[in-house]
Amino acid sequence: MKRKTYRAIALAVVGSLAIAACGGDDGESSSDTSSEATNAPGDTSAPDDTDAADGEAWAVNTDDCVDPAAANAPIEGTIKIGSAMPLSGGVAAAAFAPVKGGFEAYVKYANEKKLLGDITIEVAIEDDQYNKDLTPAAVDKLLDAGTHVFSGIIGTPNNLAVRDLLNEECYPQLLALTGSIGWGDAENYPWTTGVLIPYDVEVKAYATAIQRDFPEGVDVGVFVVNSEFGQEYLTTIESIAADYGLNIVDEQTIEATDSAPPTAQVNSIAAKQPPVILAVPLGAGCATFLAEVANAKAANPGWEPRVYITATCASSLILGLAGDAANGLYTSNNLVDVLDPEIAALPAVAEYLAFMEGQGLTDIITTGGAGWHTAEMTVAILVKALESGELTRASIMNAARSFEAVGMLTRPGVTMKMSGLSDQYIAQSLQIVQYDATTKLFTDIGDLITDYES
Amino acid sequence: MLKIKEASAQHWALRLVGVGVIAFLVLWIPTQMATSRIGQVSDAFVLIIAAMSLNLVLGFTGQISIGHSAFFGIGGYTAAILVKDYGWSPGYTFYVAPVIAFVVGCLIALPALRIKGVYLALVTLAVAVLFPTLVKWKKLAWLTGGAKGIDSARYDELPVWPILGELKGRDGRAVFAYWLAFIVLVITYLVCRGIVKSRFGRSLVAIRDNETAAAVMGVNLTTTKVLVFGISAALCSLAGVLSTLRTGVVTPEGQYVTLLGSIVFLLIMIVGGAGTLWGPIVGGLIYVWLDSATRGFGTNSDGIIGFLFGWADQSPATLILGVGLVIIMFAAPYGLVGLIKRLVAKVLVIVPKPLGDSHLAIGNTVPDTDSRV
Repeated sequence: MKRKTYRAIALAVVGSLAIAACGGDDGESSSDTSSEATNAPGDTSAPDDTDAADGEAWAVNTDDCVDPAAANAPIEGTIKIGSAMPLSGGVAAAAFAPVKGGFEAYVKYANEKKLLGDITIEVAIEDDQYNKDLTPAAVDKLLDAGTHVFSGIIGTPNNLAVRDLLNEECYPQLLALTGSIGWGDAENYPWTTGVLIPYDVEVKAYATAIQRDFPEGVDVGVFVVNSEFGQEYLTTIESIAADYGLNIVDEQTIEATDSAPPTAQVNSIAAKQPPVILAVPLGAGCATFLAEVANAKAANPGWEPRVYITATCASSLILGLAGDAANGLYTSNNLVDVLDPEIAALPAVAEYLAFMEGQGLTDIITTGGAGWHTAEMTVAILVKALESGELTRASIMNAARSFEAVGMLTRPGVTMKMSGLSDQYIAQSLQIVQYDATTKLFTDIGDLITDYES
Repeated sequence: MLKIKEASAQHWALRLVGVGVIAFLVLWIPTQMATSRIGQVSDAFVLIIAAMSLNLVLGFTGQISIGHSAFFGIGGYTAAILVKDYGWSPGYTFYVAPVIAFVVGCLIALPALRIKGVYLALVTLAVAVLFPTLVKWKKLAWLTGGAKGIDSARYDELPVWPILGELKGRDGRAVFAYWLAFIVLVITYLVCRGIVKSRFGRSLVAIRDNETAAAVMGVNLTTTKVLVFGISAALCSLAGVLSTLRTGVVTPEGQYVTLLGSIVFLLIMIVGGAGTLWGPIVGGLIYVWLDSATRGFGTNSDGIIGFLFGWADQSPATLILGVGLVIIMFAAPYGLVGLIKRLVAKVLVIVPKPLGDSHLAIGNTVPDTDSRV
């Protein structure tokens, strides 16, 4: 009897593991997006001379490092870049595995082009299953293997779980693949930076667009995933709503682990018939949310809300799952849409596409873009550090915080830059776009938004 | 087959060898292994503590609980809140968290007294599902940090311990975390052992084997079940405290705070051997090793691993763990400790010491069927 009970429990456990592996949330990494900023519209001003000088003058203090000499030791021969991403478990297949592919492809490209001269770039990406409890072990393993720099760690809690450690040890934690505003804290965490557009900037950009179309104010329904990711958006939405004439008539949430369609939530919003919906679903939840909105519109003739959806949903992979339900939605990005034939003909993009095709990575040319872009910015920082005279962990961090570059996949007009304490987010310009489900392409709405650049 | 009498010189020698090997390993790991490996062992210790606490309720008392992730979370959140918001020294949270978890555990056990089996499992399942939702609740966000959780709740400066001296940096933190987790593990083991070997422990086993008979024999079912649930919850919270102090971060979506955590604890306990003191230890070490070793399998692997798993677009860790568990359950339904005991029993039998003036003491002859390893 006891034997049978344990077998039954074991089978139940296996079943649960399988369910956990299939379900789950997707992190905040966008496949087609990135960026920065915290200034409200109106506060943003062009960097003055002091700001410009700040980046050059800013230098990381290595006196408090556990081993100051190691932080300033020259890196020769090979530089090792490490990262932790979810490569298995519930969220890996759909959202994050392509980021790794894109990241590794760019490093290969950079080595072939000898962008760092005689220095070879190695990359090692550990699997943390998007579980912040596993990230310290992954980072520990990479440090034991001689990693010099970390870049592109996915997930806010995952980055937080190693931020104290990496800052104490003085290892650059570059370009965290999340849009948390917490990455702009150079005074307390000088060794940590992000790469995505901060979520609050994205919300303000949507609010500005809505205000432009509804100058008298408008009712808005809000739908967010109930996680740290959604919480950051929601906090901003609630705090700026009055300033932009947004009257929040309904706030609905869904658990990150809930794979069921948000029927009740969307019906609740539909009952209020708001002309605008601001939505922050996650991963596969983007597609189910859009499908439910389409159902609600069919059930409520005459109700045609404008849907503004987080840029993390704006990948061809996710919107492809949604099909026609994604038609007409508004979102944002600061990277190009490589599926657009006109964009694909641009020399830099064509080179990207050709290289990816040569590596047999055609299937991830859109979803791998975030990884490629992150690796490209990382290498650009390394090049700048090398140009400063000596490649050390400290010089890499100094280069990162006094940095300006245009990536192969960044939109025309978008510059990735940081400058000391005055500009701590690498990407702050973004473009509002509208998705056409028929052509599967994005159309620009208005001009590139650069108001939030520090 | 070799037979050794309990408490004989050979038996003591065997025990000494066992203790020596364990002591050697315990000292060798933090002094000789790479920092990342030390960290992994510390992580294993945390999971072992959680699985040991579950073992008390499920393995020894037969009460199915899928809610232990909530007690883990109570420990983790208590530590994070006291350290980050109230500036407590992390060490003191080890005293507070178990008290809170004990009270909560007892409260949860009260309504669970009238039900058992799958219904009890469902009640505890609700607890596991409710906990993350509760800490995410907006009205509690001032305390728990809501969906964002709490970060930077760890030792700013490591305390100086007599033998370890001043520890600094990543290596120092790993060694400190190892010894801290080891001490808590030993305490947890001793508490579990003390309970299991006591009169109270025998009443737990009686409840597991036949609740009605236990009641007839005078076991107070209510008190016993509530107490063991509370003690188990308190021990599990210690694992949560350790986990938070290692990463400094606790969120409602942390793996061990959610239902998945309960499943992992269950998995470790069953694979190692439910109802045995060493089961969770063996299970925890195997789980962490297997989880870490298989996570790298996939398209980039070479050799036999590449041949077997090269087809996978992503790491097949979850698949391997699931299949491994099924195989282990069919090969060793009483867990790995049960399997080891059976195998050892084929070559070595420890003959129990006869009790008092029993007729068995005259010739010291005990039937093989009563022997134990």
